[in-house]
Amino acid sequence: MGSMLGDLPSYDPHNFSLLRPSDPSNPSKMTPITYHPTHDRTLPPPNQVITSEARNILLRHIYQRAEDKLRPKRAASENLTPEHGSKHPKAMGNSDGPQF
Amino acid sequence: MSVWNYVVTAHKPTNVTHSCVGNFTSPQELNLIIAKCTRVEIHLLTPEGLQPLLDVPLYGRIATLELFRPHGEAQDLLFIATERYKFCVLQWDPEASEVITRAMGDVSDRIGRPTDNGQIGIIDPDCRLIGLHLYDSLFKVIPFDNKGQLKEAFNLRLEELQVLDIKFLYGCPQPTIAVLYQDNKDARHVKTYEVALKEKDFIEGPWSQNNLDNGADLLIPVPPPLCGVLIIGEETIVYCSASSFKAISIRPSITRAYGRVDADGSRYLLSDFVGLLQLLVIMHEKDKVTGLKIELLGETSVASTISYLDNAVVYIGSSYGDSQLIKLNLQPDPKGSYVEVLERYVNLGPIVDFCVVDLDGQGQVVTCSGAYKDGSLRIVRNGIGINEQASVELQGIKGMWSLRGSSDDPYDTFLVVSFIGDTRILAMNLEDELEETEIDGFCSEVQTLFCHDAVYNQLVQVTSSSVRLVSSINRELRHEWHARSGYSINVATANATQVLLATGSGHLIYLEIGDGILTETKHAQLEYDVSCLDLSPIGENAKHSQLAAVGMWTDISVQIFSLPDLNLITKENLGGEIIPRSVLLCSLEGVSYLLCALGDGHLLSFLLNINTGELTDRKKVSLGTQPITLRTFSSKNTTYVFAASDRPTVIYSSNKKLLYSNVHLKEVIHMCPFNSAAFPDSLGIAKEGELSIGTIDDIQKLHIRSIPLGEQARRICHQEQTRTFGICSLKYNQSNTEETEMHFVRLLDDQTYEFISTYALDQYEYGCSIISCSFSDDHNVYYCIGTAYVMPEENEPTKGRILVFLVEDQKLQLITEKETKGSVYSLNSFNGKLLTAINQKIQLFKWTTRDDGTRELMPECGHHGHILALYVQTRGDFIVVGDLMKSISLLIYKNEEGAIEECARDYNANWMSAVEILDDDVYLGAENNFNLFTVRKNSEGATDEERSRLEVVGEYHLGEFINRFRQGSLVMQSPDSEMGQIPTVIFGTVNGVIGIIASLNHEQYVFFEKLQSNMRKVIKGVGGLSHEQWRSFYEKKTVDARNFLDGDLIESFLDLGRGRMEEISMSMSVPVEELMNRVEEMARLH
Repeated sequence: MGSMLGDLPSYDPHNFSLLRPSDPSNPSKMTPITYHPTHDRTLPPPNQVITSEARNILLRHIYQRAEDKLRPKRAASENLTPEHGSKHPKAMGNSDGPQF
Repeated sequence: MSVWNYVVTAHKPTNVTHSCVGNFTSPQELNLIIAKCTRVEIHLLTPEGLQPLLDVPLYGRIATLELFRPHGEAQDLLFIATERYKFCVLQWDPEASEVITRAMGDVSDRIGRPTDNGQIGIIDPDCRLIGLHLYDSLFKVIPFDNKGQLKEAFNLRLEELQVLDIKFLYGCPQPTIAVLYQDNKDARHVKTYEVALKEKDFIEGPWSQNNLDNGADLLIPVPPPLCGVLIIGEETIVYCSASSFKAISIRPSITRAYGRVDADGSRYLLSDFVGLLQLLVIMHEKDKVTGLKIELLGETSVASTISYLDNAVVYIGSSYGDSQLIKLNLQPDPKGSYVEVLERYVNLGPIVDFCVVDLDGQGQVVTCSGAYKDGSLRIVRNGIGINEQASVELQGIKGMWSLRGSSDDPYDTFLVVSFIGDTRILAMNLEDELEETEIDGFCSEVQTLFCHDAVYNQLVQVTSSSVRLVSSINRELRHEWHARSGYSINVATANATQVLLATGSGHLIYLEIGDGILTETKHAQLEYDVSCLDLSPIGENAKHSQLAAVGMWTDISVQIFSLPDLNLITKENLGGEIIPRSVLLCSLEGVSYLLCALGDGHLLSFLLNINTGELTDRKKVSLGTQPITLRTFSSKNTTYVFAASDRPTVIYSSNKKLLYSNVHLKEVIHMCPFNSAAFPDSLGIAKEGELSIGTIDDIQKLHIRSIPLGEQARRICHQEQTRTFGICSLKYNQSNTEETEMHFVRLLDDQTYEFISTYALDQYEYGCSIISCSFSDDHNVYYCIGTAYVMPEENEPTKGRILVFLVEDQKLQLITEKETKGSVYSLNSFNGKLLTAINQKIQLFKWTTRDDGTRELMPECGHHGHILALYVQTRGDFIVVGDLMKSISLLIYKNEEGAIEECARDYNANWMSAVEILDDDVYLGAENNFNLFTVRKNSEGATDEERSRLEVVGEYHLGEFINRFRQGSLVMQSPDSEMGQIPTVIFGTVNGVIGIIASLNHEQYVFFEKLQSNMRKVIKGVGGLSHEQWRSFYEKKTVDARNFLDGDLIESFLDLGRGRMEEISMSMSVPVEELMNRVEEMARLH
């Protein structure tokens, strides 16, 4: 059992080295200062005010699929191996079909 | 009371919900960050222990708290998400010592069903994204770009509906989550998904694990090199990864919290719902897991969060008991525990119920706090107690000083007590008793004006005719300085080397003390007579002062003179017509002050520049109504000021701000520190007709005493006549085979808080309500208890009891019982009868005598029409009911008809948690979305429809779940002060908050509302969160707060720098001093 608690991590050996157990009936009375910021940096830079994408998941999928459909056409007209061309629509059908 | 209410926190939340450890304030410093619902506390790890740095109030209830470090950052950032779907990323700026906001945002969706199992917020260990599960079947992603900046958030569809936990896995090429969920057959499984950020989609992950422990509730991701996940169930713990599966069966328990010990994730601390702490070890050879091992370490408070800090010291944050700092010892103690408690941090939460006990006009709150084994009663009172050690009867004390036997004696020997015609000297004898003695060199036939220890083993006594310098060794007179005849000494003061005195006609005389000699060094003729003076040393030299403070008759001023030349350097006119009666130079927390007490109980404080004598930052507070005498004393190496008056007060400094705390004594004429060997660190206190010696409580505003019960108290009430408390409590018994609950009604002595009598309730019977009441035509005072039989198979109880007890010989005697058709949620004493709320019904019982003389409760009339009538308050014939989900309704009891009828109701669908009556027409409610609201009876309405509707007049988001309102006050209500006129309601919450709602008049409301809106502009919300939004009433709709003011924000005015105060003063066209006075007056309500 002792071995299971052996070698507990130590990041700074000084930490808690001077701490003695306090009287159990006497709880800690240390209270931190309450923080009341009056500076302006409580507001983040404008590009870090995060919002959620307005488009919902369904629309996003439809648009994504539409884009994906466009892309292979263009690719096929250039130089794709037949193998690639046939695989793509199949994968599309499998993954997207049941979701709608 | 009124519709204009002021809400303020008297005791901040103490329920610890989250904690984490990291380098937040500097790359070299290790911090513990604690979340207490609406506040974040930042602590620093030091050799001496945890050092509290900052308490950061947040305009939101914290749902998740995580430290993380984006690539390239030297310090950790703090991610916080609130329950109202806001989030922020905070950073510490070490140069400015400020918390700044790196990013923030709103992650709410317009549609979506909020999750049942709470919000989940997690950060990918490789900092690629933040994941949030806020609504069922949606997983929100906030991606990071490669510079650590956040980008637009988007939702992913999560197929699993009943999600129990989600965690990011370590060491995955793509960000990968493990999802613990329950299917529609109640089986539990874990599935993994990769988050494809570009495609904005989930991809089936590397592994899944079906059919886990039915109680599996928690995932622990294991860092590299193992990179799997621990699935914590109630009977098994499983380690799972793509390549490995190990399981271990455990003693049945519900794990509530975990903390990782090692950076490589090979050891974890687990805590269960009874506070047993276990160590879970993943045994592994390199990155191959060979097995799991679990060992019991010992017991702590029931943990809600565990953070391993450093060098075997662990922080246990608790929601149900006090939080703790513990040490894990290599060897067990005699009881077999490896856990040693180093420190305890008070937590009042959850306050399930409380009562207000009136002691000499001052409220004392006794709470039912904590849960399970950590249940306790907490006695909360404002102010400082004196523990009397000895006392003697003495009439007519005019002054009192302690003196030492020699200059280097650490203890005081003599107590000099002065009366109108003589002076008596008390000293400790060999038996450590105080007995009268003599100091030969003192003149004891006259009144003493002042005494002090002096250098060279001497004592100084000032009487109206002379100053006597006496040897403290042989107690003989060494030198005497005589006042000129016809100019008797009126007031005097001294320190170890100097004497300052004033005689009639405005003569100020300064003497210096030498070895056996008093030298008149300087004399000044002032314009008017001196009323008080002081030359306490506050500079570097503890025996000599460079300054003297003098209070003046006639022109009502205080003047600062330089010493030894007695040059006037500052004169401050006090204004008004009240003479200064006591002045004091003092230094508290290194800040020098001049305090000046007036004859009418007011106290002025000034900051004093000890080099120039300049007085600034004048403040005026009212402490009492009688003249005040000021004296310093020290306790535990800190200096305090005691203001003796009809309302004795201790003045102390906290964070360089002066605070005033009442002392629990009626009237103190005089106080002097008396630090004797037998009574170390004590005070001598002169009251009317009595001299006592006592020690003083720790100096703090709210004093909390804890009475551990070992079981959970759920209801409490006080019975003044029998000096007892009655409580309903439950005790969990856990044996190996099963766990059982036992419910009790217990009687406690109101002084010792010991159980003096117990009545065990039946199996499955819960105590739901308790009151102390009496009935018509019966002089006895009873405890009435309402119960419910909570059967496992029933949705709502269908049976309960009303038990009526009489306390006889300190025992609970059951007088009568009455079976009811449901749970007795509430009891009220009502027109000499008993008003009950039983499930849907309000039922009135009368107290009758049977033929055989025994007593019985007989139903008289009732009112149906509630879902569940949970909370009832009455006033006259009016009954205010708080319903489970139908807000507040108002009923009236018609005595002649013997009927209860509904007058009006609020038609909103508020799920109530407490109600209170503010005045005849205005009722206060708290509901389960942490809102407060007031409704008003509209008796003047033109139509029946209008009259039957309770109009909502006030709305406010408190952000706390209130379990109980009680009329009363935490502070002494002095009838002559203006504040004594402000009625207050006290509330207690799940997070351990004790708060005050004070009713204002319209003028006060308008004034403080204006101040509040100015404060909003000056004090910014941490994380960019808006105060206005935070306080808006929030349910399905959001409505701006109205007719409630945030006292916490308003009172933070007192913490502002002078410049900010002046800004607000300008904008409000109200002088700073008036603003401060008015805010301080409000602050004195709690």
